[in-house]
Amino acid sequence: MMMMMSAAASHVRVVLPLHQQRRTISIGSEIFRLSQTEPRRFKLTIATNVTAKYKGTKMREEKLSEMIEEKVKEATEVCDTDERSEECRVAWDEVEEVSQARSDLRIKLKLLNQDPLESFWQENPETDECRVYQD
Amino acid sequence: MAVSTIYSTQALNSTHFLTSSSSSKQVFLYRRQPQTNRRFNTLITCSQETIVIGLAADSGCGKSTFMRRLTSVFGGAAKPPKGGNPDSNTLISDTTTVICLDDYHSLDRYGRKEQKVTALDPRANDFDLMYEQVKALKSGVAVEKPIYNHVTGLLDAPELIQPPKILVIEGLHPMFDERVRDLLDFSIYLDISNEVKFAWKIQRDMAERGHSLESIKASIEARKPDFDAFIDPQKQYADAVIEVLPTQLIPDDNEGKVLRVRLIMKEGVKYFSPVYLFDEGSTISWIPCGRKLTCSYPGIKFNYEPDSYFDHEVSVLEMDGQFDRLDELIYVESHLSNLSTKFYGEVTQQMLKHADFPGSNNGTGLFQTIVGLKIRDLYEQLIANKATARAEAAKA
Repeated sequence: MMMMMSAAASHVRVVLPLHQQRRTISIGSEIFRLSQTEPRRFKLTIATNVTAKYKGTKMREEKLSEMIEEKVKEATEVCDTDERSEECRVAWDEVEEVSQARSDLRIKLKLLNQDPLESFWQENPETDECRVYQD
Repeated sequence: MAVSTIYSTQALNSTHFLTSSSSSKQVFLYRRQPQTNRRFNTLITCSQETIVIGLAADSGCGKSTFMRRLTSVFGGAAKPPKGGNPDSNTLISDTTTVICLDDYHSLDRYGRKEQKVTALDPRANDFDLMYEQVKALKSGVAVEKPIYNHVTGLLDAPELIQPPKILVIEGLHPMFDERVRDLLDFSIYLDISNEVKFAWKIQRDMAERGHSLESIKASIEARKPDFDAFIDPQKQYADAVIEVLPTQLIPDDNEGKVLRVRLIMKEGVKYFSPVYLFDEGSTISWIPCGRKLTCSYPGIKFNYEPDSYFDHEVSVLEMDGQFDRLDELIYVESHLSNLSTKFYGEVTQQMLKHADFPGSNNGTGLFQTIVGLKIRDLYEQLIANKATARAEAAKA
């Protein structure tokens, strides 16, 4: 099992797994940005007692939490102008989708002790996402 | 267990041939080994029956605990596909494969924003692809199913899905398209009332720093028009509806912790015999707490009655309250009939297996488990029926 320190903020090289390289370059830069910000660890431990095992899962958790915050702000703004508009409905639908994804991840980790990257790691131990997260 | 019948379309004597050597008078009989996979002129029909179960509920595929209870009844733990996309929504166990219908979104998050449609809208989903792939899996053909990534909001590269024994399609629209509906052997609709939905979403979202009570309320309100137009009408097609309502045992309760759960079971569905209490088709009201069983506040109350639901005959089994102890659960189980359990206490055992899942102490967990047992029973009956039909056809 590889044990590597997870955040020397200035030179973290993020290598996305092959199946994501095709489409998610922009996500890559977002993730890169994330690793340079201060990890908000204390917030996550309130929500879940079991923390993510792999760095990739930690990244997903943080990304989803940030997205929830962003999208709620966006939806409140859009709906301020017209509550019944289609844009308003779509905005809250996005909030719902991301909130549910966040909750699913939490359930997987907490109730099932299944880190979603567990089996991915076994096939692709070299990818950055599979580095073990150390608090 | 797969039973394969091999039909050879060649003449039968082609696997045997005679040679006679010119000098001697001996005849050698050779039998060629049948190479079943490489010979395209042999038709193999492996009759592993696949049954398709549809599960409809709000909020994408967050029915994780329901799915895990279901798959656990069938046997084995359901896990995401090994080594594949970690954001895959699919769950696979030995007998069951669970497919999330969000994978059939025709528009990803950005597309939906552009076209101003929510995920609830049928315009955001590819029902043709859904129908083709479910049909293929049902007839034993593997498919490359797209993956909708809930984290990025994009459609990822497809994953290979092998036809399982039990295929569960869960999502917002399993019963929306008529063709897909006809493929379903059994369908379930999870109907959560607005008050309970609100309470659950508060529990789910309050820990997130982005959310507040107002945002959660606004989110539910904004979803209502699309939900009522597209998702809710599906419940008339369901064979079983699990309705979750606030309790009637505690006046003015708005915490949503104690629940009243109703299992509405359609009558006349093939291979499905509704659960009943004491006397089938009668109306019963039952409070198990008393001399033989002591319960703590607010106790447990059961109701059973025949009813009509969207012009269908149904039987409704209702439980209000919660279980505090193991013996309450086993006591209740021993008084229910037609549970399709294989041994006494199976329901209790299944509930205990997942005692930390939400709903394990009330009707949601109980009825989800019972529905799981009913589906297992349906599967076994279907297999037995097909086997006898085949045996009779072979005799004829």
